[in-house]
This record gives sequence, structure tokens and C-alpha cells, in this order.
Amino acid sequence: MMLYMAQMPALIPKEVEIQRLKKVWLIVIAMGSTAASVEVDNFVDGSLHQTSIRDSAFTPAHWWLYSHFITLPLGWGAAAIYDRKIPVLRGPNNSMNTGLKMTILGYLATMFTIGVNEMWHFWFVEEIFAVPNHWMFNMGVVVAFMGALAYVVRVYARLVELGAETPGENPYVAEMYKMALEGKLYSRAIP
Amino acid sequence: MTLPKGFGSGGAGGSSSADVERMIGRRVENMTGMITVSFWAAILATFAGTAAGYFYYPWAYPTASGHFAFIVLTIIITIGYIFCVKVMEEGSNKNSNGIVLASVIGATVFCLFVSLYVGW
Repeated sequence: MMLYMAQMPALIPKEVEIQRLKKVWLIVIAMGSTAASVEVDNFVDGSLHQTSIRDSAFTPAHWWLYSHFITLPLGWGAAAIYDRKIPVLRGPNNSMNTGLKMTILGYLATMFTIGVNEMWHFWFVEEIFAVPNHWMFNMGVVVAFMGALAYVVRVYARLVELGAETPGENPYVAEMYKMALEGKLYSRAIP
Repeated sequence: MTLPKGFGSGGAGGSSSADVERMIGRRVENMTGMITVSFWAAILATFAGTAAGYFYYPWAYPTASGHFAFIVLTIIITIGYIFCVKVMEEGSNKNSNGIVLASVIGATVFCLFVSLYVGW
């Protein structure tokens, strides 16, 4: 027998679960907007650095950059607290969601790396991108992003499972939704 | 269906619609007002942030650069706002297209006004 996405038992009424998932989704959209704005700030800050090579930590472009260090932890914290009310988002043994755990572990690794990085720069001052202490930053961030993506995709997939996301009005698209939910969309049995 | 402690009829049966209502709290399709207020708060805060740039730090931020940032951010915030309202109301009978349209037009006019007349 082929195993597809785990069929979760209904532990809370479907309507309640949809409402709660959508509240998590509100947080996700707000965090996505913040992240998109900080992407813009990469260019704003880069533009500023064309004229000011060495600047202080507290230029407007840097405040804007730091805003996501406040917003995203608060947002993920709110999601982690609120999603206790959604049984399918819990991890093994009633623990925190696995995706959120990976995110926390990834960023803990980068926090540890800050110390390692400072020790490295104690004896080698120049910033060279591809040094091993920087690899650790990148690996931590990648693990964190994978966890966050897994979490967001799980929330969305559950909304689709519950039928809260409206299939397209195009009947062919609606049929694809139906097959996807049955685990048949990419099956080799269909030529 | 098993319900959390404090809900249902104490093991005698299933949940009633009153239980379901109590578990939901404020429904997401009724959060449009709150989302709209947050949208305007975000727009005004963004304007204040970029204005702080070109009024207090003109050496760092030419006015045109601040306005460019404000325009792009207004677009990003507006997309997020539309997503929030449409996702929260889909599948319900609520329809706030009027409020959303008014807010988006208002934000566009405000953004154009700031870009053309403020800080030059």
C-alpha cells in the first residue's frame, strides 16, 4: 500500500481549526510583508554604502534592517504560542512543531557562531566572505529557513486538506486539486 | 468528537454549535476593521520612518531615495493588506471590497501626495 500525507484525526471541530489556521496565516502574511520590506532595504542600504563606505550602526537604513530582528521573533513567538490550539501542528510527544524547532535550532547555531566569529576576528580583522566561521552562519540560516518553510507549507496544506482553500473555478484546476488531495496528481499510474 | 476541558456536555455527547462558537472567539472574517487599522498604522509608520530619513539625516537620505522607499513599501504593505482581507473572508458571506478599495485608493493618493510635495 502506498502511503501519502498522513490522515490526521479530527481533534477539534473543522470550522474551529480553519479559523485558527487562518489566524496563524495572518501572522505569516504580516511576517512575509516585513521580510519583503527588508529585502528592499538591502538595496537602500547598498545605495547608502555607495557614498558612505564605513558608517555607524544607527543609520536609518540600518534601523529598517534591524526592524525585522524585532518583528520576526515576535511573530514566530506569537505563532508558536497560538498554534498550541491546533492539534495537527504539534510535534512528537505533544512538543513544539518540528519546523519551528528546526528554526530555533538553526538560529541558535547562528547565535553560537557570533561568538566563534568574534574569536576569529580577534586575530584576523579583514572580512573575507568564505571563511569557515561564516559557513556556520550560512548553515544555521539555511536550517532555520527550511524549518520555517516546512511550517508554513504545513499550515497551508492543512487549509487545503480541510477544504478551506477554494479550488480554482477552472474545472481542470479543480480536478487537479481533487487528485492532489487523493495523492494521485503525480502518480506514475497516470500516463 | 472529543473537546477540550470545559467544553461540551461532560462526556454525555458531542459538541453543540454554541461550543464551537465559544472555541472560535472572534471570527477571522470579522477582523477586517482591525486589519484595516493595522494597514493604516503601517503606512503612517513607514511615512514617519522615511521622513525621519530625509528630514533628520539628509546627508544619508536624499529625499528622492526616501520617497522611492516609501513608494515600494506602500506597494508591499498594500499587497499584504489585500491578501489578509481576501484570505480571511474567503468561504464566508462577508465582502469588504469597498473598504479595501477605499483604503488602497486612499493609500495611493497619500503616497503620491507625499512623493510630490513633502520634503523637496
